[in-house]
Amino acid sequence: MTTTTHASFVIERHYSASPPRVYAAWSDPEAKRAWFVEGEGWDIQSFDIDFREGGSEKSVYGFRRGEEVFGEKTAFSNETVFNEIVENERIVFTYSMARNGRRFSVSLATVEIKPADKGSRLIFTEHGAFFEGGDNVTMREQGWQELLGKLDTFLAESA
Amino acid sequence: MTKRTTTHATFVIEREYPHPPAKVFAAFADPKKKARWFGGPDDWEKSNHQLDFRVGGKESISGGPAGGTVHAYNAEIWDIVDNERIVLAYEMHLDAARISVSLATTEIKPTATGTRLIYTEQGVYLDGYDDAGQREEGTQQLFGQLDAFLNT
Repeated sequence: MTTTTHASFVIERHYSASPPRVYAAWSDPEAKRAWFVEGEGWDIQSFDIDFREGGSEKSVYGFRRGEEVFGEKTAFSNETVFNEIVENERIVFTYSMARNGRRFSVSLATVEIKPADKGSRLIFTEHGAFFEGGDNVTMREQGWQELLGKLDTFLAESA
Repeated sequence: MTKRTTTHATFVIEREYPHPPAKVFAAFADPKKKARWFGGPDDWEKSNHQLDFRVGGKESISGGPAGGTVHAYNAEIWDIVDNERIVLAYEMHLDAARISVSLATTEIKPTATGTRLIYTEQGVYLDGYDDAGQREEGTQQLFGQLDAFLNT
């Protein structure tokens, strides 16, 4: 029997980079890979992005400690479709997450970028449907908090 | 320059049907059946309903009052569990303007007397064109059409 839990969360962050620089970190494939995909403990198997409305992004990555943590060799995949792109202002996308081919969530995410205090304010809103055998909204929100923190580091280092 | 605004909202519609889950699921999964109930009001001019019911498949229909604004629905299916769950994401356009993107989950559960259907829509409404109240009302109308289809 399947179970589905619906939940939403919002994360707001200030970046000292301008809106075009924050936007470029989402739209430029190399930049996006640097903060969104690369990370300690992760083994990146593939990352492809076609950043346009109707275009898709797909990443597949393994957790190096997967067997110890999950009891089996584990690969995660993220499949994204970009619904709306407004340069420097807004990105709306749908994405699913799967573990070893088993889909465990589908989400709708909105990224808003606004000029603020010599930099930018980013508002990330996610609406999710979380399935049986997956994570939950608390873990998902923590995951995005970490990612948006990595984006801050990336923007500071590439300034 | 368009003033960029967003409004986020979620609504839930529940139904009980005296039919088995497979019959309710088929009203969503079978393109011929879905076309019978899914679309705007009877007096609208409409395009053909298109549905490729598989994960990654697309669904579309558009229509509107004669000579008026064209309402276009374009969806992509993200998850299917036969007789239990359908998740899709859809965009609505009014003429050329994208007015919303929504995540829609249809859950179908067996009950002692038939089926409980739980429809959850989580959406972002863009640039002030629409709001969740209107969308919920329109979706209630669609479910009225589904009720009529299933009960005749």
